[in-house]
Amino acid sequence: MSPDLLFFTCINILMAWSVYIALAAGALSFGSSAFMAAGCYVAGLLTVQAGWPLLPACLAGGAAAGLLGFLLGFPALRVRGIYLILTTIGMSMSMVVVLENIDAVGGSVGLGGMAGATLWHGVAAVMVVGALLWWVSRSPLQRVLDAVREDEEVAGALGIHVVLVKLGAFAAGALVAGFAGGLYGHYLSFVRPDSFNVLVSIYAVMFVILGGVNNLWGAALGAAIMTIVPEQVAFMREWRPTVFALTIIVLLLVRPQGLLTRRFATLKAAPEEAAR
Amino acid sequence: MLLGQIVNGLMVGGLYALLAIGFTLIVGVLHRINFAHTEIFMVGGFVGLVSAQAMPSITLALVAAFVVGGLLGVVVERISFRRLGTEEAAITAALSSMAVGLLLVDVVHHVWGTEPLSFPLVDALGRGSFELAGVRFVPVQGLVLALTLVLVAGLWLLIEKTRLGRNIRAVADNPTAAALLGIPVKFVGQQVFFLTSALAALTGLLFALRVGTVNSDVGMGFALKALAVTAIGGMGSLQGAVVGGMLVGLLEALAIQFGFGPLSDLLVWGFMILVLLVRPQGLFGSTFHGGGARA
Repeated sequence: MSPDLLFFTCINILMAWSVYIALAAGALSFGSSAFMAAGCYVAGLLTVQAGWPLLPACLAGGAAAGLLGFLLGFPALRVRGIYLILTTIGMSMSMVVVLENIDAVGGSVGLGGMAGATLWHGVAAVMVVGALLWWVSRSPLQRVLDAVREDEEVAGALGIHVVLVKLGAFAAGALVAGFAGGLYGHYLSFVRPDSFNVLVSIYAVMFVILGGVNNLWGAALGAAIMTIVPEQVAFMREWRPTVFALTIIVLLLVRPQGLLTRRFATLKAAPEEAAR
Repeated sequence: MLLGQIVNGLMVGGLYALLAIGFTLIVGVLHRINFAHTEIFMVGGFVGLVSAQAMPSITLALVAAFVVGGLLGVVVERISFRRLGTEEAAITAALSSMAVGLLLVDVVHHVWGTEPLSFPLVDALGRGSFELAGVRFVPVQGLVLALTLVLVAGLWLLIEKTRLGRNIRAVADNPTAAALLGIPVKFVGQQVFFLTSALAALTGLLFALRVGTVNSDVGMGFALKALAVTAIGGMGSLQGAVVGGMLVGLLEALAIQFGFGPLSDLLVWGFMILVLLVRPQGLFGSTFHGGGARA
C-alpha cells in the first residue's frame, strides 16, 4: 500500500469521525466538506502567507472551522431530520461558491504552496482524535450525548442543556473536519474549492453508515474499508463509486444499523420528525 | 435586457418546478426524500442522447426518457424505500436513495465518460434565433417552454381530476384511512415513483435540449438546487413547488442581470436556509409537513 493511500485513509477516518461526533448528539450533517474547506484554507493561508509552522496552522484551521460550525450550527440546529440534511447540504454547496469568489484565496483556480504534511502527521492525528473520542465514550459525557440523541425532551427534563450539547458536538465535528482539511491541503500542496464539494460530505456520511452510526470504531472501520479495499482489486478500483454505493444499498437492506453496532442503533436523529 | 432575463428566468424556473414537483409528491405521499431523483434527471439527458443517435426523432427521445426514467423510479422504490417503510427509517431510506444516485453517476461515467457531450437534435429543431429585449433565444427554448407548461398543467389535471390523483391525495392525507377505504397504498406509492421519476428524466432531457449538451454533473448541480426549491416552496406542496421554482429561476436570472452570476448558487442555497430557519414548512407548506422540523 502506498503512503498516499494510507494518508487518505487517515483523512477519511477523521472525516468519518467528524460526522460521527455530530451524529452522537443526533445531528446528521452533510456539512463536513464545508468545514474541511474552511480548515484547509485557513491553515494554508497561515503557512503560506503568514509563515506559520504546520501544526499550529492546522490547529488554527481546525479552531476556525470549529468556530464556523458553532456560528452556523446555532441557527441550523433549530431544524432537524431531513431539514437539517438540506440545511447542511446548503452549507457545503455555499462554501464552494464562496471560496470560488474570493480572489485573495485563488478563486476557482485554487490555493497552492502548502507543504510539509506527511503520512505520520495523519496517523498521529487519527491516534490523538481516536484517543480523545475513546475517552469521551467512556466518560459521563457519552451518556449525556446518548440522552440528547435518543430523546431531547427527556434529556432537557433531566437538566441537560440540549442546545449546548448539540451545538458543542456539531462544532467539535467541524473542528475535526477543519483539522483534517489542514493536513489534507498541506499533503496535496494544492487545492481547489471544488476539492471540497458536497460529495466529500456524502462520502463521509456513508463511511459512518457503513461502519455503524453510534460506534467510534465502526466509523473508522467504514472509512478504512472503503478507502483501502477498492484500491487492492483492479475491478473494484475502476468501479469504486459503484462498489461503494452497492455496499451501502445492500447493507441498509440487510443491516440498517451498520456493521459494528453494540448499543441500540438510531439513525432517526429524532424520533418523530422523519421526513415530514 | 432585463425583460429578456426575466423571461429566461421563468423558463429555467419551469424546469426547477417540474423537478420540485417530483420531490414534493414523494414527500407528500411517502414522507420521504428521494435523493436518486436528481440523478434520474441526469440519466434522462443520456437516454435522450442514445435515442437521438439511434433515430433522429424528438418525440421518440421524449418517450424513451419518460419510460426509462419511470422504470428507474420503480426500481428505486423497490430497493431504497419498500423495505425502509417505517417512520424511523425515513432518513435511512434517503441515504439509500443517495447511494443509488452515486451508482447511476458512476455507470454514466463508465459508459459516456465524464465530459459533456453535445446533443444532436438541437440543430435539427431549427437553427435561427430570435431576440427578445436583448437576450437571444433559440427555437428549442420555445419547445422546452411549451412542454414545461403542458407538463405542469397535465400534472395538475392528473392530481386534481383523475382517479389516480384522488388516490394520491388520499394517501398523502392519511395512509391508514386511505387503506381502510380500499386504496392500494403500496401500489399508489409505486405509481408516484414511476410518475415522478419519468417526469425527472423528461425534465433532464428538456434541460439537455435547452443547454445543448448532456452532462453527468447536472444531477449534483442543477437538480440538487430543485431540492432547495422544494424546501423553499414547502415540502409536500404542489403550488409551492411551482411558485418556488419560478422564484428561484427569477432570482438566478436577476443575479445574472445585476452582475452576481457567479454567486447564484449561493443565493439559492442561502435563500433555502433562510426559509427553513424562519418558516420550516416552506412558503406554501401546511404546518402538517413542517411541524416536525422544529423542536
